[in-house]
Amino acid sequence: MKVIVARVDRCTGCRTCELYCATERGSEGRTLLQAVQETPVPQPRLRVEGGPDASLPVQCRHCVEAPCLDACLTGALVRDETHGMVHVKEDRCIACWTCVMFCPYGVIFPWPDRKFALKCDRCMHMETPACVDVCPTRALEVIDLAELDGVSAEKRKAAATLAIAATDGEGVVHLDLAG
Amino acid sequence: MTVTTYDLVIVGGGAAGLNAAAAARARFPGKRVLLIDGEEEIGYYRTLLPMFMTGVMPEEKLFFQRPDDPVGYETRLGVRALALDREQNHLSLGNGEVVGYERLILAQGGRPILPPMFADRRLPAGSFPVRSLAVARRIKDWLPEHRRIVVLGGGLVGSKTSVFLAMGGCQVTLVEKEPHILPTVLSERTAAPLQRHIANLGIDIRVNTTIDEIETDGNKVTRARLSTGEWLPCETLLIGIGGTPDIGFLADSDLIDGEELVVNPGLQTRDPNIFAIGDAVTIETAEGEHHQPWTWPQAVSQGKRAGDNAFRPSAAPVPRVTRVNAQNISGIPLMILGGPGVGSEVVSRPDPDPGVWREFFMEADRIVGGALVGDIAGAGPLHFRMANGEAVGGEAPQHLQRRTRAFAAESWGRLARARRARRFAMEGERA
Repeated sequence: MKVIVARVDRCTGCRTCELYCATERGSEGRTLLQAVQETPVPQPRLRVEGGPDASLPVQCRHCVEAPCLDACLTGALVRDETHGMVHVKEDRCIACWTCVMFCPYGVIFPWPDRKFALKCDRCMHMETPACVDVCPTRALEVIDLAELDGVSAEKRKAAATLAIAATDGEGVVHLDLAG
Repeated sequence: MTVTTYDLVIVGGGAAGLNAAAAARARFPGKRVLLIDGEEEIGYYRTLLPMFMTGVMPEEKLFFQRPDDPVGYETRLGVRALALDREQNHLSLGNGEVVGYERLILAQGGRPILPPMFADRRLPAGSFPVRSLAVARRIKDWLPEHRRIVVLGGGLVGSKTSVFLAMGGCQVTLVEKEPHILPTVLSERTAAPLQRHIANLGIDIRVNTTIDEIETDGNKVTRARLSTGEWLPCETLLIGIGGTPDIGFLADSDLIDGEELVVNPGLQTRDPNIFAIGDAVTIETAEGEHHQPWTWPQAVSQGKRAGDNAFRPSAAPVPRVTRVNAQNISGIPLMILGGPGVGSEVVSRPDPDPGVWREFFMEADRIVGGALVGDIAGAGPLHFRMANGEAVGGEAPQHLQRRTRAFAAESWGRLARARRARRFAMEGERA
């Protein structure tokens, strides 16, 4: 299963991903100029959270045991057989927002204007997700879950190296014996 | 007497039973499974019945499973369970059949509570309990000719049904015996604006009263009398005062405590081979708390878990036991985290924004319930913090603020604080 991963060390919080997600996946015109003139204004399926210190685009994790799938009252939320992505069948959604209530990450967004819930489906029918395509700092990547373990091991190693460097090579980090 | 024995028998084909059957099939493909249900039709979304009966929802969107879908297990429909013999592991059915089981999952759900005036369970034409698809179909056929309606019960089902009926142009009176609508889940203060909103849709709301008599003409409802003595002319009476576990057939099974069918978090009754799920059960947590989370999402989760647990040596607990509910009452989103428990403290905003009310019920510094009305941002993460029993303490007022972002203040405390701090700083500069 391929998922989008976000790298907090690269994200600058510019929100280009939000703009192009809304344009590419929510607008009629498919260009930014046309999208902003549409009513209702197209909404993105991911949000950049965080502040000036650090920011991170968050979107659906496509949980293996997704609480939203259990919660949906109408069968609008389904998991795609081929891609494994959880997505909303907009014609079945009745805008009750039960799934919003059952998302532990808060990444299902109610869209009252259009009367359906909005969530990331990893642009599964496109070659590359819109957000990944446009990210100017390549903070967003598509990664196969199987590879992810390797990536996080690498990250831990990098973080450890940095921490060791910060203590002049002593390798003892945040060990406050006095406290 | 021939007894057919199955590895797993499931009583009830609602959300809980069907999910249990599907989970058991997937996990234990070699087992022979039987599912029985008292209704002729199963596999529909019960929560959509108010929309269906008022004509808002077409029938084809009502079903998640069709009768001719291949399911891989046997079914008996229109057949009720009559008695359970735990010594023999036999279940007697209404069609005279007796089936044996190795494991049993009880998912028979609830039956509608009827007001005392219908104690003999004989309902005149035009009065309907809102519960099953068969009755919803009859209501749907009945309504076009009988558009003066009294809805008894201002709970979730009653309120939602009234709204759809009013939007469909019916003349609706909603009768609730407590001082405000949605009494089990909202405080009076939070219910008030919602009640105004519903009244603005043209629904006549009568609180602090109930219906204690109806008058019929040739067995058709013509008017209903409130306990205040006032007569309401009506052609249709819909009864939505809740349901009660359908546990009559278990009377001699020694599984009932008091009036409750109690299960452990692994969904087992006191007989470890018998599981019980859905609207019929009371879940007793390890701490001894009793929960009756009779909601659709719980039925689905419990069903999946019970199906998974059926043939395992030890039963895994259900992921979370919360009774949360969401509604969209004609444009006003409503999130119910849980009703006010005994002795819980109500925390709400002193100066709510127009159209927004958020309140929590707190015990010590844990959220045990509450409601978000109008602004539901952050509802998901809040729900899970409540379910995990996290202490929120001093953060509660912050969660009561009007919010547009769901995520930040929940799990990224430090980042969110930084952003807020910057916003404050900028305001300072402008001043």
